[in-house]
Amino acid sequence: MRGLTLVRDAGIVVAISTVAAFSVNALRHDGIPIVAKEPYRILVPCPEPGGDVIPLAPADVRWGDAADLVIDARPVAEAGSWSAPGAQNVPFDYLDPVSDDKLSDLLSTRCDRVVVYGDGDRPDSGEELAREISGHGVRNVHFVPGGVAAVRTHLGAQVTP
Amino acid sequence: MSRFLDWNGHGWIALGLRLYLGVVFLLACWHKILHPASFALDVATYQILPLELVNLQALVLPWVELFVALMLVLGLRTRAAVLLVNAMMVMFMVALAIALARGLDMGCGCFASEGGDDPITWRTLVRDGTWLAMGLYVQWLDRRPLGLDRLLTRRTS
Repeated sequence: MRGLTLVRDAGIVVAISTVAAFSVNALRHDGIPIVAKEPYRILVPCPEPGGDVIPLAPADVRWGDAADLVIDARPVAEAGSWSAPGAQNVPFDYLDPVSDDKLSDLLSTRCDRVVVYGDGDRPDSGEELAREISGHGVRNVHFVPGGVAAVRTHLGAQVTP
Repeated sequence: MSRFLDWNGHGWIALGLRLYLGVVFLLACWHKILHPASFALDVATYQILPLELVNLQALVLPWVELFVALMLVLGLRTRAAVLLVNAMMVMFMVALAIALARGLDMGCGCFASEGGDDPITWRTLVRDGTWLAMGLYVQWLDRRPLGLDRLLTRRTS
């Protein structure tokens, strides 16, 4: 009986609150409709599946060795003009993550570590792609700080127009 | 056990907890009542309620918080007020847990809107759990609440 009284009192409080809320909302100039007419534009950043990555100096990369899977994270056009020897081009795109199938194809080689280089900007597309790959559960993922400029300086590559 | 329940000190401890919870809810409702559209966006950001109920919740909840806060501070229908507090805390904790489990990076919307307050973390959940524990203490152990309830009971008896 006492419990019922309690619930009744609580119900009365909710009813009074509802009446007060609707009345004040009707009177104010910036009131909102009781039922929203359009979906709210909510901006909640998606959780990024980024994993841990390790920086690796160009001098420590085993260029041309199958043990290092070298990935160029720059756009196709830029990678087409110059790319490190043996590098595979996987353009990094914030809105288009690397699919599991694509990743499986890449990792089917007998590499024991993955080395990614990108544009070297801030943020560096190479580091971002490396985090994305690592976020898929791949271990031993590295990126080259400084990106393509650091790689080219090390390799002494010539620009191909 | 009965001696523990009958201890007179519970009333004074509960009074402190009631006043604390009352102030918390007064602070919580203020911004929501002044800015219903912002709070509605906060409610929508949790992505739990259907769109039809978002504004209804955003409009009514702050007023429930206001009345409940005043009742707690004044000691009026205290047990009903604290029942509502506990129900709201459970509701908030479920919403927070769902948002955290989904990995949503968002503000709590508890005391300010549009991400103006701290982002939700598991500590937010612990904080709400602590307030729930306080509410449960008042609910179970404050048999004769100090405040208007006691005054009114004396007059009628």
